Amino acid sequence: MSPTTRVLTFGGHPAINGVVRIACASSPSLELVAETEDPQEIVRVAAEATPDVIIFDADVREADPALLISQLQAVVPSAAVLALSDRSDGRSVLEILRSGASGYLVKADGLKVLGEAVASAASGRPVLDPALEQAAIEELGRFARRQREASAVATALTSRERDVLALLADGATARQIGRRLGISPRTVETHVANVYRKLGARTRVQAIGRAVTMGLVSLG
Amino acid sequence: MGSEPSTGRSSDAPAGQSVPVVLVDQLPVVRAGLRLLIDAAEDLEVVGEAGDSRSALTVLARLRRRRAVLLVGLGVLADRDRIDLIGEVRERYPTLVIVALGADADIGSISMALFAGVDGFIDKNSEPSRFLDAIRSASHGDMVLAGVAPGAVGKIAATIDRRRRSELLLTQRERDVLAVAAEGLTARQIAERLGVRERTITTHLDRIYDKLGVSSRFAAIRAATRSGLVTVAGPE
Repeated sequence: MSPTTRVLTFGGHPAINGVVRIACASSPSLELVAETEDPQEIVRVAAEATPDVIIFDADVREADPALLISQLQAVVPSAAVLALSDRSDGRSVLEILRSGASGYLVKADGLKVLGEAVASAASGRPVLDPALEQAAIEELGRFARRQREASAVATALTSRERDVLALLADGATARQIGRRLGISPRTVETHVANVYRKLGARTRVQAIGRAVTMGLVSLG
Repeated sequence: MGSEPSTGRSSDAPAGQSVPVVLVDQLPVVRAGLRLLIDAAEDLEVVGEAGDSRSALTVLARLRRRRAVLLVGLGVLADRDRIDLIGEVRERYPTLVIVALGADADIGSISMALFAGVDGFIDKNSEPSRFLDAIRSASHGDMVLAGVAPGAVGKIAATIDRRRRSELLLTQRERDVLAVAAEGLTARQIAERLGVRERTITTHLDRIYDKLGVSSRFAAIRAATRSGLVTVAGPE
């Protein structure tokens, strides 16, 4: 374990970069090892720089921040990711925390406490304002419920129905489904009706939409 | 605080009446302690208790018309029985507020409880006043997560997420086999338990290892535990 905390910044936010540079310059225990704003580069840079703390601008537009964070955690599992964002709603906070970040600061107030936050993150303490935590907890309740409902639907579908659903999502007509699965058009109709009913859908578009949301099929 | 309760459920009683609470915990001493604590509060009242799942369902059936908060003690490592009870209660009583209680509960157990249908979790290590406040919040329809480490909410969500992905990966049958395998039984014993041939079980296990990207029973169980698919009984 190195005596200094190695800090990496991701994001082109000038104020964040500025604050982190100052914090690292004025503290002997913090060392700024790399900065990058390129989402294509961050994982490679992190792997090379082996930071202890990653200051992560979660408002990055060109890439999915949650995906980047989970990739970072895979590549540098010992790094604490401290996310900064303009967003303070429960859904955003939970999604970032869920992907592996151990801290979340809202940019407006967070910049003032960023120096201390880096030190906290370095010592393994999560950085999360109680109000943000509460918002995330509320969202957790909704999240758990959605997963449970999706799970119930998935369980209710027979494997045949799941085959039909997959083909529907591919854009197959009833006739194509029948030919593909070796079943009669009437049987296809029955399966489709059951699938719609179990998904609570009235149209094909609705059914596919629900199925995608629940993770039962993927498109493309 | 929004005006819409996040769970859509609440036990708000008419003013002047206390919120009815039902206790489910295996240990009589724990139930007695909780009863004392809760009854001491003016706005909460224990109206029933049970030590096992069957009694719990009986108590709830009696109370059907009264709104209540059900407190379910998870026991060590959120045993299967309690998780099944939660699922059953959630299905029978969609509007009942259910809160899981644990003692130093791990992320996996909390995740399983949430996935099964609880509206919140309170760790028994909480300060008594926080404990009661959390029950009150839950009764108003708020999601509660009390007495857990600040970083836990993200990890709990991640575990639930992994559980869903694994679920999509493994069939129900495969999950059943894995759950029994996690008890440490041999393929033959698993086959006996599930009433199928031993060869069927080994076929299932091979497919499971393949899907989970592992090559040993131990690794498969570890992957499944991490995903909240199974809970593993601790060493006796």
